[in-house]
Amino acid sequence: MTDNRSLRGFSALVAVIALTGAACSAGGDTNTVTTIALPHDWCNYGAMLDGFTKKTGIKLNELNPNAGSGDEIEAIKANKNNKGPQAPDVIDVGISFGPTAKAEGLLMNYKVATWDTIPANAKDADGAWYGDYYGVLSFEVNTARIKTIPKDWNDLLNPEYKNSVALAGDPTTSNQAIQSVQAAALANGGSLDNAEPGLQFFKQLKEAGNFVPTVAKQASLVSGETPIVITWSYLALADRDALKGNPTVEVVIPASGRFGGMYAQAISAYAPHPDAAKKYMDYLYSDEGQMHWLAGYCYTTRFDDLVARNAIPADLTAKLPDVAGAVFPSQAQLDTAKTLITGQWRSVVGVDVKPQP
Amino acid sequence: MSRRGRLSWLGLLPFLLFSILFMLLPIGFLVVGSFQDSAGDVTLQNYADLSEPFIVEAYLTSIEISLVTAIGGGLFGFLLAYAVILGGLPPFLRTALMTFSGVASNFAGVPLALAFIFTLGNAGLVTTFLLDTFKIDIVEGGFSLYTKLGLELVYMYFQFPLMVLIIAPAIDGLRREWREASENLGATPRQYWQRVALPILTPTLLGTVILLFGNAFGAQATAYQLSGGTINLVTLVISSQIRGDVLHNVGLGYALAMGMVAIMAVSIAAYTLLQRRAERWLQ
Amino acid sequence: MTTDVVGVRRTEATIGLATARRRRGPRLGLLVWWAIFLVGILYFFVPLYATLAFSLRAQPMFGAYANVADDSRFIGSLIYSAGIGIVTIVVSTLIIVPTAYWVRVRLPHLRPVIEFLTLMPFVIPPVILVFGLLRSYSGEPFGLTNSSFGSDLLLVAAYVVLSFPYMYRAVDSGLRAIDVRTLTEAAQSMGAGWVRILWQVIFPNLRVSLLSGAFLTLAIVIGEFTIATFLARPAFGPYLSVLGQDRAYEPAAVSLISFGLTWIAMGIIALLGRGSRQRVQVGGAR
Repeated sequence: MTDNRSLRGFSALVAVIALTGAACSAGGDTNTVTTIALPHDWCNYGAMLDGFTKKTGIKLNELNPNAGSGDEIEAIKANKNNKGPQAPDVIDVGISFGPTAKAEGLLMNYKVATWDTIPANAKDADGAWYGDYYGVLSFEVNTARIKTIPKDWNDLLNPEYKNSVALAGDPTTSNQAIQSVQAAALANGGSLDNAEPGLQFFKQLKEAGNFVPTVAKQASLVSGETPIVITWSYLALADRDALKGNPTVEVVIPASGRFGGMYAQAISAYAPHPDAAKKYMDYLYSDEGQMHWLAGYCYTTRFDDLVARNAIPADLTAKLPDVAGAVFPSQAQLDTAKTLITGQWRSVVGVDVKPQP
Repeated sequence: MSRRGRLSWLGLLPFLLFSILFMLLPIGFLVVGSFQDSAGDVTLQNYADLSEPFIVEAYLTSIEISLVTAIGGGLFGFLLAYAVILGGLPPFLRTALMTFSGVASNFAGVPLALAFIFTLGNAGLVTTFLLDTFKIDIVEGGFSLYTKLGLELVYMYFQFPLMVLIIAPAIDGLRREWREASENLGATPRQYWQRVALPILTPTLLGTVILLFGNAFGAQATAYQLSGGTINLVTLVISSQIRGDVLHNVGLGYALAMGMVAIMAVSIAAYTLLQRRAERWLQ
Repeated sequence: MTTDVVGVRRTEATIGLATARRRRGPRLGLLVWWAIFLVGILYFFVPLYATLAFSLRAQPMFGAYANVADDSRFIGSLIYSAGIGIVTIVVSTLIIVPTAYWVRVRLPHLRPVIEFLTLMPFVIPPVILVFGLLRSYSGEPFGLTNSSFGSDLLLVAAYVVLSFPYMYRAVDSGLRAIDVRTLTEAAQSMGAGWVRILWQVIFPNLRVSLLSGAFLTLAIVIGEFTIATFLARPAFGPYLSVLGQDRAYEPAAVSLISFGLTWIAMGIIALLGRGSRQRVQVGGAR
């Protein structure tokens, strides 16, 4: 009878899964480090992680590469009692999250071997978190669709860029997007303390019909839906390389309004594999590790030190974009801008906002 | 009788136990967290914040979009299901539609948003086709995929199939003989629908519409990708509080989710009333 | 009452006429139904075609697909997710069918409460669900996350919860279409106990509903990403996202492949669900 046959089939499947599950190693592996939110194309993390595994023999357990900084913090909190593979050992978050995570007791103090070469304003004095890399906001341009390359923020307002310009996220959720608005402010009479002109810029962009209110992805850049994307320089350059000319992409660092955004590394206070985590951090901040990030077009916090000691191969330096004049906001400036932009974004660019006649 | 009555609820024990262990317990964290601020102290501020105009607007927009796609999706989904089951189409189309609906019901998020961008976006396939072949410029004409209407259009992609799958057994239950019988008794198609089919189908139709409502109400990834957050939806506000890189008031996110729970409860109450009204018709 | 008897007699007497009328009547109706169906096909397939067209713009043309097929974890993660899906379907069915039946037959006044509970998964963001489960079950005394099997259990539990709205509604829809009370009374009068009634009377009559519920649940499990990734399970969803992230053509190829494979899985379930009795698919509870 069908019922019996199906029942036997199901039982067999359950048994197979149970056995497979039991056969796989349980979480007691000490030669592992659990990472989270590390896309392989982001700052060349793919090569970095490979290099780390090859050098130390420590295996990687990679969680959700698409996690946001908020997710990473929540993952630490939810796994406080968990020594299994779900608990992250190390995190890479927007630098604003460093101090708050430390205040909540989520981070473990550790000073990497090369601690002294990291600038003081890019790290926590106790070693709870430490800046890792930065880039500036740039324009990623699909040159198959866009014939005249914009050179600066205000060029984006030209009528030839109708339905062309997009952000890589939502300013109320994404670090990248909110800092794009701040960057626009710098180029339009604002400053790190005043992000209002940035909002006005996007309002103008929308009224000119140039702004495409969607989250730009590599796919939408390529398809022509969002041929100009405002995104981190390292992401844009990585995209350009990955696309290999299909289509051709040019990355423009704007002439004015160069806004630097930094991320920070930290070890979780509840890390299941603290020793492996420390070795991981040491690798990231070793000269060898730093080369991987540089190859991913990310300037690292140890950059000046590396340059001073001539530790970077010339061809690598040649590939890095010119970001002279980039400014970095302080924590306070980031917070003020965040409050302003997230509060006003929808009233400025929201769907129900009609352009003035 | 009273002893049997009291013990009756034991029949629900497996479900209740499972729900408590694996659903209500996580929700418990939600409830507790909604009363905490970022320092972990107890506060009612999160709930007070719910009355902010921005948040009220988020709820209203979410409800609006969910209702529109529930009713619209329900209507066309019902017609589609009826077409393949009782409409006289070849039987293999029914299996094809059912299996396809299974897949499409979960086709959402970034892939769905991108699929529609590729189709109806400013540089989309259909957009350029209409422009090149018929000289119709829908973008100039005011159509934009990045509006509420566009989002509703995209949501239909998983609403139609859901309706098709759930209403199928109900349409099956509409015996073909009833239609023939009513025709032989001289009823017009309209009378058949009014007196026979709709009264039988209405309870299930209502039940499925509320399912579609919940489905759209809880959707987040599609809206985020498509509209880049320019449309104010509750699920987007929640994710920006809990998961975002920028805003980070987790307690507020939890309170917002509790608000959604409350809205679902109200919807179910309304639907139950409607259901009772409809059932009275049948008797 | 009398009219009904007359009506039935009249129907029986005019079956022949009815057949003739049937051929003439619904022709216009048939066209309308075809039109609706074709609109549906257009709506569903044009976006899929647009995605396909986009994915083929890669160089070489099938490059995006080749990258996907090359990877050895592709089959492994797909089998894993399919397996988890089947277990989820079984557990969900075993919980929901008796519950929906019991509510319908014995406790109709509790229906709004049960419906509310089954709709809850819609308003819990999956992130909250998974982090809540981790908080509750990862430490002492459960320690479920200390083993792969335990984590798999958590995954199945989470997916069963996610399937509740769909499973319940599908089963409820099916129960409404059959006269549950009469069937129950008839079976009881023949001496059947509850288990027997459920297993041999109710389940077989819910074939279409259970298929719908199975489709919906399997689709959810194969496509699900958030819970699987935070539970560190080797499922298809996390695998796909790692593969396609931050690229242009690969995600399009990947979503189409996923779509196609899930459709095939549905087809297999549909075949299995037909059972040994050769029933024509058009019929339901006739």
